[in-house]
Amino acid sequence: MEAAQKILDKFSTPDIVFVHELKCGKTSGALIVHHDLSNATAARAVIYALEHCAEKLEKLEDFCRYALLEYDVIVTTDIADCTNKLLSGDMLLCIEGEDRYVIIDARMYTTRGITEPPTETVMRGPREGFIEDLKTNLSLLERRLKTPDFAVEHMEIGRRSNTSVALCYISSIADQKVIKNVKKRLSKIDIDGITDSHYLVHYIEEKPLSLFNQVGISEKPDIVAAKLLEGRVAIIVDGTPMVVTVPFVLVEEFQSGEDYYQRSAYGTFIRLLRYAGLILALLLPGLYVALQNFHYALIPVRFMVTLMTAIKGLPLSPLAEMVFVILLFEIIREASVRMPRAVGMAMSIVGALVLGETAVNAGIISSPAVMVTALSSIALFTVPSMIGPMSVLRIAFTVIGGLCGLFGLILAVLFTLHYVCSLNAYDAPYLAPFAPLVYSDFKDAIERGPISAMKKRPRSIPNSNPTRQA
Amino acid sequence: MNSATQQQSNTQFDSEATQNAGATNTRETKQTTGKQLVAIIFILAMATKMFLLPIFLIQATGRDGYIILSVYGAFDLITLIPMLIAIRICDVDIFELLSSVLGRVGAKIAVVFIWLFLLFKLNTAVSEILTFYGTNVLSDFNTSMMLIVLLAFLAATGAHTLRALSRLNEILVPVIVLCLAVLVAIVIMTGFDLCNIFPAVADKKGFSDALVKHPAWVGDFTPLLLFIGRTKTKKHTWCFAAGSGVIGTTVAVFFAIALSAAFGNVPTYVDASTNISNILQFSVGNVYGRLDMFSSILWSVSVFIEAALFFYATCRCASFVVGKPAHLVISLCTCVIVYVVQVFALTDPMIFSVAVTSKLCAIATPILAAVLPLLALVCAVVYNTKHKKPSAEEEQNAGE
Repeated sequence: MEAAQKILDKFSTPDIVFVHELKCGKTSGALIVHHDLSNATAARAVIYALEHCAEKLEKLEDFCRYALLEYDVIVTTDIADCTNKLLSGDMLLCIEGEDRYVIIDARMYTTRGITEPPTETVMRGPREGFIEDLKTNLSLLERRLKTPDFAVEHMEIGRRSNTSVALCYISSIADQKVIKNVKKRLSKIDIDGITDSHYLVHYIEEKPLSLFNQVGISEKPDIVAAKLLEGRVAIIVDGTPMVVTVPFVLVEEFQSGEDYYQRSAYGTFIRLLRYAGLILALLLPGLYVALQNFHYALIPVRFMVTLMTAIKGLPLSPLAEMVFVILLFEIIREASVRMPRAVGMAMSIVGALVLGETAVNAGIISSPAVMVTALSSIALFTVPSMIGPMSVLRIAFTVIGGLCGLFGLILAVLFTLHYVCSLNAYDAPYLAPFAPLVYSDFKDAIERGPISAMKKRPRSIPNSNPTRQA
Repeated sequence: MNSATQQQSNTQFDSEATQNAGATNTRETKQTTGKQLVAIIFILAMATKMFLLPIFLIQATGRDGYIILSVYGAFDLITLIPMLIAIRICDVDIFELLSSVLGRVGAKIAVVFIWLFLLFKLNTAVSEILTFYGTNVLSDFNTSMMLIVLLAFLAATGAHTLRALSRLNEILVPVIVLCLAVLVAIVIMTGFDLCNIFPAVADKKGFSDALVKHPAWVGDFTPLLLFIGRTKTKKHTWCFAAGSGVIGTTVAVFFAIALSAAFGNVPTYVDASTNISNILQFSVGNVYGRLDMFSSILWSVSVFIEAALFFYATCRCASFVVGKPAHLVISLCTCVIVYVVQVFALTDPMIFSVAVTSKLCAIATPILAAVLPLLALVCAVVYNTKHKKPSAEEEQNAGE
């Protein structure tokens, strides 16, 4: 059949699909099915329905109306669209004498079950996580947001991968400017393929070269649903459990889904610990080196004596020693992450016990330096999403502290803060509610106020309906 | 859901993102908020006045230093009034305002004067920072290297927006206030003998000499010219702005009084070349241990912010005069100028001290510090008169 042949001509290896020629009604046709991606049961049912339909049926519309009633169908003349759909697992029906095709939804991918995401484990609260299937992910959100205002806009990105992407928002809450801006950025993407949502991040961030995350990424539907309820927009990419949300502000890094399932006082305490942890992680090694190199007078005398005893006879300068220990830690961490779990455990033991203790005993590094790095590294893990950027900043601050003392360290912090202050993600000031100051948003920034007190949505996030509860 | 509620939208940040149509080349689309203006006024009121000025004044006039500082503070507060009125009544930025009232050439000439004044103030602030850190905290560190690090930060502030700088200031003010609270608490708890500041003005000649020699430290509110037409304010912003200026000046005077009480009778003990254990000589809070020393160093962030404001304003004035909007290039050029001045002209704290107490500085600084806000106010009034919206009656008459 000519129409079917036109489709087959598009494939360099037509074997990946099969063509079933059939007699339907008064005419004949062909059903093109993908070997691996289409649902074989659905294909058999469609073939049965078409071959046993009423004899009087002749037109393509009639087949759709009577024989394919229980399937999602699209009629099109666009061959490129047909090819894309076929490659996504849909079936194509061609009718003799028609230049139109019927796309029949019959996708069936092998997917894993819904499990707790390893990156966002919780002690309390929902344990469901997104999976690699777009439809399942959408259903997880739809189950939590049963409102007709929940909008899902589908698009395909990637010239060759034709990856399905869904843009989700609550139309009565999300800011129209933000939605328009996100859609504009997504529509401008002209890439051959995307395999994960992180590919999109670089296109939708205001400053892609920045060290700081400017989009939120989550694997948990309860977190994404909560963000949608605050006026954000979510982007779900087929083939990945990572869902991207915008606009994004820095305080989101310090929030965890579990905060809202704890007593608010404890939630506030944990948040304060996270802020303190990050400051400690970033500044402690730099401060230690700066004090040792330039500002001995700021170190208490007793501690100074202990320190002098510990560093006596070390071949490395305080700066070189600290950078060495930090790099050693980063190497061990990276190696542990990449190794299989069993080997990773052994690696940690080798790294921590053998390398650390032996190096101290050998007089290459001092115990205070190991302790400072360990404390700083553990503190860094209190905000897991910032480990990458903060590790880089920590080394930079250490080097500046070692070279220029407190003067350089203060200036480096000011420089970083100034840069962060200049960031704006989709009209949301990155450092809000601290700068600019938005008192009402403090209820969910440093403090984790009672849910009943959060009567308004965050003012830092643009939205068209500020009232959350009466 | 309430439809009226639905109609609302979060307009919190509209003030930070507004019009840019018909903007001059130096005009940015982003604006600052009233809270940020209040925070900046607080910093400008006390930062450099608390830094090295009390030391210079005590060296020059002994225990009467705090009186001279109070006079300078009062002078600055008076100049703040026309500045705040100009910010309140004017909807266009300073460059557009001057261009509209004085013409393009006149505006450029005026801006050249503003630029020169700001450049002078910038160099004063940078010299103070280098003196403080170079001779005390980092005595064994290369000053020119320190200058490069400082200029890197300043260049970043010059290349970014006023909005970013205002936010930076806003986020740091709580830290600065906390440090001040620690220092004030230490001063009050450990006590100082107020009798040491009396009798006041015993040496009238020395007092008047010092008074006319140090006005290089007035005019700290001049960077606020850049806030004209770019600040979204509320009804009571003006009260808070004036109040923060008064509080900032009061804090500076309080520390000057404490320092005068501690060292006013032994001014020879106060100098800029002591080691870190004697850092106390720069601020009375430092006398009492490490916590106050640490607080002092953290507090010095406010001087960095003030220097950044001067740098930013200098860059924008230069951009207007040159007619180039490339902020990074202008920032780098300004850095080069500051570097040359600091490394080749102000090579020593003594030279700096002589330069800022010269007759030229003593005469020009207070004049410009007073004239520039007045010029802005007059231009704002003229501009508003020129662009006054016709009343309903006038419109009706015109229609007839």
